[in-house]
Amino acid sequence: MATTTNYSWTTPDNTAYVKDGASAIRTLGSSVDTTLFTALGGAYPGLRLIKKQTIGTGVTSVNVTGVFSATYDAYKIVISGGVGSINANIGLRLGGNTTGYYAGGQNVVYSTAAASLYSDNNVALWTRAGYATTDIISMSVELVNPFLSKFTTIQHAFIQGATANSSGQGSGFHNVASSFTDFTIIAAAGALTGGTIYVYGYGAS
Amino acid sequence: MTNPLIQIDDEVREMTDEEYAEFMANNPDWVAAEKPTTKTTTK
Repeated sequence: MATTTNYSWTTPDNTAYVKDGASAIRTLGSSVDTTLFTALGGAYPGLRLIKKQTIGTGVTSVNVTGVFSATYDAYKIVISGGVGSINANIGLRLGGNTTGYYAGGQNVVYSTAAASLYSDNNVALWTRAGYATTDIISMSVELVNPFLSKFTTIQHAFIQGATANSSGQGSGFHNVASSFTDFTIIAAAGALTGGTIYVYGYGAS
Repeated sequence: MTNPLIQIDDEVREMTDEEYAEFMANNPDWVAAEKPTTKTTTK
């Protein structure tokens, strides 16, 4: 029986019967499936792009739907490009839920190295998931458990792209044990224009 | 007077009055969008 060069997958000989073709294809397909699963580390390995959403012009909020599912437990949300109409925080909300968001964080002022602390204490969204200036939108967030009916946790950078401001990070949780499939980013003031929201899932199997 | 714009996936539209009222209830510090500041340079 003939085999492939690298993984020794079985292929039909030139003299094999046509009537055995279905079986031969099935055997070859199973071999490819097994090799890929092993080589890649699972059916959904690594960090996979789930959705790429362009931000419109002058929008106060962007609702990104259909991103959280049973396929992944943890997610990465990144925004590249775009601008705000004024400098402002960008909040993040799960589904339409407007209660139970908690977070704590710290920032360091660029010009003085002075530290500042903040917290979200049972508010309507995570208030500092990102930041918009008239030059750039910044968001880099990790969420764990948003689809599970458990508390969702968040870790996020908080990078203010303005020389007079500061940079830092925060983390927290959503004190609501519900399942969500979507999220919304919301400008704390003004509006957002352009840029792209990328949502990735961390491979779980 | 128009309400602010919201986006749901690729759809951009004006908030309804009900959505605007709810939005302001949950984001009391929000202020209306302004045009980006015109940058000037000096020599």
